[in-house]
Amino acid sequence: MKYMAIIYGNKEMWASFPPEVAAKAIGEVDAYNRRYTESGELLGAYGLADELMAKTVRVRDGLPAVTDGPYLEAKEFVSSFWILDAESEERALELVAEHPFAASNAIEVWPILHESGGAV
Amino acid sequence: MADVEDLLRELAPQVLGALLRRHQALDLCEDAVQEALIAAAADWPTSGLPGNPRAWLITVATRRLIDEVRSESSRRQREDRLVFGSPPAELSRLPGDEHDPDRDDTLTLLLLCCHPALTSPSQIALTLKAVGGLTTAEIASAFFVPESTMAQRVSRAKQRIREAGATFSMPPPDEIDGRLRAVLQVLYLIFNEGYTTSSGAQINRTDLTREAIRLTRQLHRARPGDGEVQGLLALMLLTEARRAGRVDAFGELVSLADQDRALWDRDLIAEGVALVTSALARGPVGAYQLQAAIAAVHSEAASADETDWAEVLALYELLDRVAPNPMATVNRALAAAMVHGPDAGLDLLASLDGDSRVARHHRLFAMRGHLLEMDGSPAAARAAFEEAARRTASAPEKRYLLRRAHACQADS
Repeated sequence: MKYMAIIYGNKEMWASFPPEVAAKAIGEVDAYNRRYTESGELLGAYGLADELMAKTVRVRDGLPAVTDGPYLEAKEFVSSFWILDAESEERALELVAEHPFAASNAIEVWPILHESGGAV
Repeated sequence: MADVEDLLRELAPQVLGALLRRHQALDLCEDAVQEALIAAAADWPTSGLPGNPRAWLITVATRRLIDEVRSESSRRQREDRLVFGSPPAELSRLPGDEHDPDRDDTLTLLLLCCHPALTSPSQIALTLKAVGGLTTAEIASAFFVPESTMAQRVSRAKQRIREAGATFSMPPPDEIDGRLRAVLQVLYLIFNEGYTTSSGAQINRTDLTREAIRLTRQLHRARPGDGEVQGLLALMLLTEARRAGRVDAFGELVSLADQDRALWDRDLIAEGVALVTSALARGPVGAYQLQAAIAAVHSEAASADETDWAEVLALYELLDRVAPNPMATVNRALAAAMVHGPDAGLDLLASLDGDSRVARHHRLFAMRGHLLEMDGSPAAARAAFEEAARRTASAPEKRYLLRRAHACQADS
């Protein structure tokens, strides 16, 4: 089963880390990513740029309209996400709990829809 | 070309077994076999099959292995002689000679790939690679993961096997049975992975179904007296027989009751029925045999209405005693409803409400919806189907359950 783990945040939160803390955190996340890429359970991990860089696209009457910023007027945005392929939900949750940011953030875990049907 | 490919896949575990009997390093042997298979796939279609394809592969793979071991040995100051003690004559031995270890090799290899030290995704990956002869790219594409991920999974699996000190040898007799259950579980998972996805876009997954059946056939040849191996093979064949009826023209799921039974494969059904019948007659009975027997009853009914539901119910009751499992109870509820009326089925489902393994599982809600619909309560049925749709991560299943919910709405 594949799962998407999501961390929300905003620039105030990330700016609140002193540089040495941030460097340590990055090192820990790199080690986590390396460990579970090697085990074949982490399919990909991504950090997103600042919300200032985000654009929203809508096509109306056949014409694309691009606006600056995210679609929702939220205080917190998706700041990073990663995709896991775990043996069970239990294992996915265990992997997420081991993430270095789990101790300071809430991490959402969403099952990803798959194309396997039931045993009809 | 397809013939060459089939032949190579058939020979792959035999060649690997032959190498492993001389050298225990699974990773080195497996790489060597893979290279020999690639060489054969390039060579044979143009220059024709060698007289003894198996010996050809073993010779080529052994040469690669020797090269590989030499380069390792030079680092470790080891001598090839210690590693390769077998007389070369043995390499060209024909299969079917007085003592033919190939069938045992396949079994030993399956047991090694499904070693208890491995997680289930690793067991699956290694089995498809080492016994099935699939490439890492093929396995990765079948499981929708990047090739690098699958490569890591395979290499980690080999490393774990090494760390666990497992070797290419038959486990003691008292352990074989337990280890064999793990192999059956892995083969069944591979089968289901392929079977449950049959929409056109994922056509590569049907290969997994074919592969699982092929490996289970090999295992059945190696253990002809094992009723559960035979039962699993029967279950796979009887399930596979329904493939064409399982989805409609748009690739959407069709329930067993609504399937066009003219589309079912009669040859597979005949073979599956014969296998399960003889396994049950021989005993002892097991969970795969009983599930196959249930599938056989469905397969032999001309329509859903003509199904011998009393027989299905009796088999489910037996299954519950042999291998208690709440998901089987969910399925039993349908048989109970068909024999004794929807209330009997709903009562059975209510008995699972306290069971954390299934109480919130979408199948329980889906079955409840179906039985409520039978019972003439469309509003409650609709709510149950909608709840079920929210609780599945399977996209086709979700669409199917929402259609069922919608149909209730139309009636109410």
